[in-house]
Parts: sequence; C-alpha cells; structure tokens
Amino acid sequence: MHGLVLDLAVLWIAGLLAASVALVARRSSAAVRILSLDTLVLVLVGLLAVFAADRRETYYLDAALVLALVAFAATLAAARYYDESRPS
Amino acid sequence: MSGVLIWAVDALVVLGLVVMTLGVVGVYRMPDAYTKLHAQSKAVALGVICLLVAAMLRGESLTALRGLLVAAFLLATAPVAAHVVARAAWRAGEPMKGERVIDESGPVPEPDAPER
Repeated sequence: MHGLVLDLAVLWIAGLLAASVALVARRSSAAVRILSLDTLVLVLVGLLAVFAADRRETYYLDAALVLALVAFAATLAAARYYDESRPS
Repeated sequence: MSGVLIWAVDALVVLGLVVMTLGVVGVYRMPDAYTKLHAQSKAVALGVICLLVAAMLRGESLTALRGLLVAAFLLATAPVAAHVVARAAWRAGEPMKGERVIDESGPVPEPDAPER
C-alpha cells in the first residue's frame, strides 16, 4: 500500500517532468523559458526526494542538493545574460 | 517505524504532488512572465519541500539532515531566483498581459546608469 503510493508518485512526477519539458520547448519569451527551466529542475529535485523516500537511501538527497545548486546558478546566469542582451 | 509516521509520509507525498501539479499548471495557464513566476517560485518550491519532508520522515537521521539542508537551500534560493528573473524581464520590457494591469514602477533606467 505505502510502496504503491510512492511508485505512483514517481509515475506522476514523470508526467510533470514531461509537462515541464514541453513548457521549456514551447515558443515563448526568454523570461518564460528561464523560469520554465527552473521549474523543470525543481521537479527533478522532487523526483530525487521521492526516490530517497522510496528506497530509504541518503545519496539521492546529495544529488538533489547539487542539482538545486546548479539550477540556482543557471537561473542567475541566464537571467543576467537576458538582462544585458536587451536592446537599449 | 510507527503507524502514524507511515501515513504521514503518504499524506506529505500526496500533498507535495498536488501542490507541484498546481504550480506546473499555473506556469502553463498564467498570462505573462510575472504571474507565471508566482506559480513557479512559490507553488513548485513548496511542493518539493513537502516531498523532502516525506523523505526526511522515512529515512534515518542522516537522511533527515540532508533533507533539511536541501529544504533550507531551496527556501533561500527560490525567492532570489524569482526576483532576478522578474527584474531581468522588467528591464527587458517584457509586457504585462491582462485586462486591468498597471505598471507603477516607472521608466526602465538607462543601461549605463550606475544603479547596481
């Protein structure tokens, strides 16, 4: 029963992941794409958290921490680039 | 593992999934970048934190400490990232969509203005 909940959670997050990829690939402005990419990586962090809960392993959370760090740096860099590349 | 804790893990996982799904739907449905940021920075981040708390309850003390670290990191960085994206979008002239929007923040400063 409880394992089933976690398995269904993994499936559901896989669906959310596909939706986030579609968000990034959709034709929209650069700001929307940057925040969609951040959404994608946050959903991936959630997937790793569910894995950690499912298999009772600690190491998935290490990967989640690194992923969150990289996502933060990527968002900062992309937003900075978008800011400086505007037409003046 | 006691019985209440197992149900708490299930409830937290389901709650986190619902909140994350609402956040992703919000990023789809909101009209412009600024309102999309509301859904992204608050709903998705808090859903992930719910899932992390579930993992912390399920695992041992080491897992709980790691989960606390990741949750604190997300709580610290999600507002900063949202602010940076919103600021870049506003300075790039990203339009606000909607029937009665009003931008009270004035003109965008010159690119070489020493305001940073």
